[in-house]
Amino acid sequence: MLRKLREDKSFQGTTLISPTLLFMVGLLVIPLILTLVISFGSRAADGTVIYGFSFHNYVRLFGISTECTGGKTICFDPTYARILSRSLSLAFNTTVLAILMAYPLAYFIARAPSKKRNTFLFLILVPMWTNFVIRVYAWMMLLRTHGVINGVLGWLAGLFGIDFTPFEMLYTQGAVLVGMVYEFLPFMILPLYTSLEKIDLSLYEASADLGASPIRTFLRMTLPLSMPGVVSGTILVFVPVMGTFIVSDLLGGRQIVLIGNLIQNQFLIARDPTFGSAASIILMIMTLIVTYFYTRKFGLSEEIVGI
Amino acid sequence: MKSKVLWKVLATLLVFSMLLTACGGGAPTSDSGGEFVTSSGFVCPQPDQRVEVTSTELNLFVWTEYIPVEWKECFEMVYGIKINHDEYSSNEEMYAKLSAGATTYDLVLPTDYIVSLMIGQGMLQKLDKAQLPAFDNIDIGFLDLPFDPGNQYTMPYMAGNDAIVYNADRVSNPPTSWADLWNPDYAGRIVLLDDPRVVIGFTLLTLGYDLNTKDPVQLEEAKQKLMELIPNVKLFDSDSPKTALIAGDVDLGNVWNGEAFTAKQEDPAVEYVYPTEGAILWQDNWAIPTSAPHVDAAYAWINYVEQGNMFWMMLRDFPYTIPNAAALEYAKTNEPELYDAYINSPITNTPPSALANGAYMEDVGDATPLYDQIWTEVKGGN
Amino acid sequence: MNPHRRSPLVIVSTVLVYFFLYVPVVVLVLFAFNSSKTNVNFEGFITQVGPTEIISGNVLQSPCGAFHWFCELAKNAEVRNATRNTLTIALISTFTSTIIGTLAAIALQRYNFKLKTFSEVSIYIPIVIPEIVMGIGILVLFSQLFTLLNGALNLSGDSQFTLGLGTVIVSHIAFSIPFVALVVRARLHGFDKSIEEASMDLGANELVTFWRVTLPSIMPGVLSGALLAFTLSLDDFVITFFTTGPGASTLPIYVYGLLRRIVTPQVNALSAVWILIILVAVFFTQRLQNRQT
Repeated sequence: MLRKLREDKSFQGTTLISPTLLFMVGLLVIPLILTLVISFGSRAADGTVIYGFSFHNYVRLFGISTECTGGKTICFDPTYARILSRSLSLAFNTTVLAILMAYPLAYFIARAPSKKRNTFLFLILVPMWTNFVIRVYAWMMLLRTHGVINGVLGWLAGLFGIDFTPFEMLYTQGAVLVGMVYEFLPFMILPLYTSLEKIDLSLYEASADLGASPIRTFLRMTLPLSMPGVVSGTILVFVPVMGTFIVSDLLGGRQIVLIGNLIQNQFLIARDPTFGSAASIILMIMTLIVTYFYTRKFGLSEEIVGI
Repeated sequence: MKSKVLWKVLATLLVFSMLLTACGGGAPTSDSGGEFVTSSGFVCPQPDQRVEVTSTELNLFVWTEYIPVEWKECFEMVYGIKINHDEYSSNEEMYAKLSAGATTYDLVLPTDYIVSLMIGQGMLQKLDKAQLPAFDNIDIGFLDLPFDPGNQYTMPYMAGNDAIVYNADRVSNPPTSWADLWNPDYAGRIVLLDDPRVVIGFTLLTLGYDLNTKDPVQLEEAKQKLMELIPNVKLFDSDSPKTALIAGDVDLGNVWNGEAFTAKQEDPAVEYVYPTEGAILWQDNWAIPTSAPHVDAAYAWINYVEQGNMFWMMLRDFPYTIPNAAALEYAKTNEPELYDAYINSPITNTPPSALANGAYMEDVGDATPLYDQIWTEVKGGN
Repeated sequence: MNPHRRSPLVIVSTVLVYFFLYVPVVVLVLFAFNSSKTNVNFEGFITQVGPTEIISGNVLQSPCGAFHWFCELAKNAEVRNATRNTLTIALISTFTSTIIGTLAAIALQRYNFKLKTFSEVSIYIPIVIPEIVMGIGILVLFSQLFTLLNGALNLSGDSQFTLGLGTVIVSHIAFSIPFVALVVRARLHGFDKSIEEASMDLGANELVTFWRVTLPSIMPGVLSGALLAFTLSLDDFVITFFTTGPGASTLPIYVYGLLRRIVTPQVNALSAVWILIILVAVFFTQRLQNRQT
């Protein structure tokens, strides 16, 4: 068998991937199939599932209804569509901001002396090793009307004799965005750094020697070479943002309903696992589509994602 | 080279975690007189009636921070049973976990509406009253409620209500009824519980409907009315609504009595008012899941902690309404300041008129998704 | 030219981002010394040392002075237990998932085999699946499995298979593998195979080549993946909640539950202790590295 391992490349690949497959199939594929099956069922009065085959959960999600007021036969209920679009735009904004903030930092660390790189990396992760929820609470303390930021601004305004009314920052969409960026920034920094660090330092020098300005070097050399990191980072940020519910709950005063909140509610409060499963399936399909087109667009699909 | 760094950091953390195991710090002791003393200096009383127990462990699955530490220490010492204490922070999480198949818990603390659901699903076992003399300690007003007639499955633990709280310093025309919350003066100054049943519930009460209605027409009306309330709402919070009140983000709102009591401690200007349409009453109860592995230990625990000389600690730790009459008796003589603070506050000691006027939530069966849909539309509509 | 020179724009941005990352941490640590029990507004430090005195929610006096909440924390046996569980889970799952994930990344990036497409898709599942779906799904799976096993092997009482530390670790490994694989793949992309070929030409076999040529070269990716897995495991709440059993409670579950009921500065004290320990660990590893080279 060892001989076969040596010679058969395909067998090598299979062996390497087998532990992963064991975990994925054993733990995830089966619940996933169950979720799919449940999404086509109906909810019994006590919250359990009546198995069947009906699209009514999906129809409800897309808001197409036949019970309309005003004499129309088919109308559109935008509630869930609004939630979906709100989640997408938040995920998009968070990702863009994360890339903008992570790139200089990852670049800085990648070009730092090798002894110091790990320290810089660990320093990024130190805040992330406190508890997720407590970090969100810290932001609440900062953004409150009578919180730290307004306190500092008020004190500064006092110094200059300016009138100051505290900003209402908490319980807004902006607060949720700040919270999301804060929580997921390291997931962008790490892959970006990994990609950037691979770039041989002498390449920068070579580029300069050939007469390229720093901007040209960045656009024509650094950025393209770091693309795999950008792609990985985007996936690691975009997808979880769609599913997170804690940040929008706490920083948005539970008024901002994202698809993560919707799914959470279906399983716990509404006790309608059929609708929750349908929403989960839609969410997963949407994120898979976005991921697929994103990786395809940057021409890396052959290397990164073989779908 | 870089891998060495990783191993070193990981090794440091491993050593640290092992040090944690070694760290005893404050373990309960027993002195030579045969008495058991907890780490806080409390002398554990003997059980009134010692139950014969063969189990060596007890698996509790309870609300976070809802059990005095001394109870666990005393029980472990007196009975020699190890307690495994798992926690949840919402009924729904507990229900989801239990119904998905978690079978090793001996005791849970469901709230009223979840009790009837769990009974219907066959998740709870009947209590053997003969083994529970602690029932005699419970005030009769908390027994035989609609969600568990005859108390076949549950024993009351703590009770309370949801009503209106406001800061008298900042609110010039205080509300007296749920309907008052719609006053446009309060725009953006209200906190509400993030609970669809409570909020839609009190909206139904303002319209004169039943709190637990399943009628879609009535619910549609409630939805329209609730949409008008939204501009007044600054935030929804079911975790710690008093926080926004104390921080000055909001001036009034709908909270549980315990939250109001704590807020009032920080700021005496806080007032709690029972609305004219009726407050929403709730009750948490001990219940034993059907598949509990250590039922005898569960009975021993309930009997022990519901003794007057143990249960009085709830007065000290959690400012809610106490259904245990024996505990109140004990506190009257032995802990007079605690007793006075409890009895004299209408927040903890709900006046009988408010109790009579109030209503308990019940499970609404197949209307549950409808409540949730309304909730999503109302909240997601901006 | 100094290869480590970076433009002022980069340096300023970096400083600003670090600032952004650490401001909440500073606030967090500051509030660990808050005299107010409800921890909403900062009511000042606890100045008097003596027997504990709490009046209307404010700690006026404490035997530990300003460190009152740290002392409370030290007495809290539950936190100790939860922390121990959390660290054990995180270390074991990180170690295992890093190895498995790295192997997977290599397989997917450089080999073609029959199940490749299926693996590509299934490895994305833990990333795209909502946590509650995964949590409940795994719980249902385990409970069915255990019922089957316990029945078949005739186990009962305390020797049964049940939810506990083991099931949590297995779930954590499952959701960490894809993250590790993704990061390592980004590193493998464009990997120059010629050094591997050179190594084999020089007589080293595949294993030695891997260990001494390939692995060190992708190590930053592996390290990043491991750090990611560790961070994910430390903080996980939803999946852990559903897959844990009696006595295997973790820190996120404890803290999350606590924060939802009673917010006391004890939780801040816990975070402050964590941060201190990690900063000390980072400091010492940096000194060791400096001394080695």
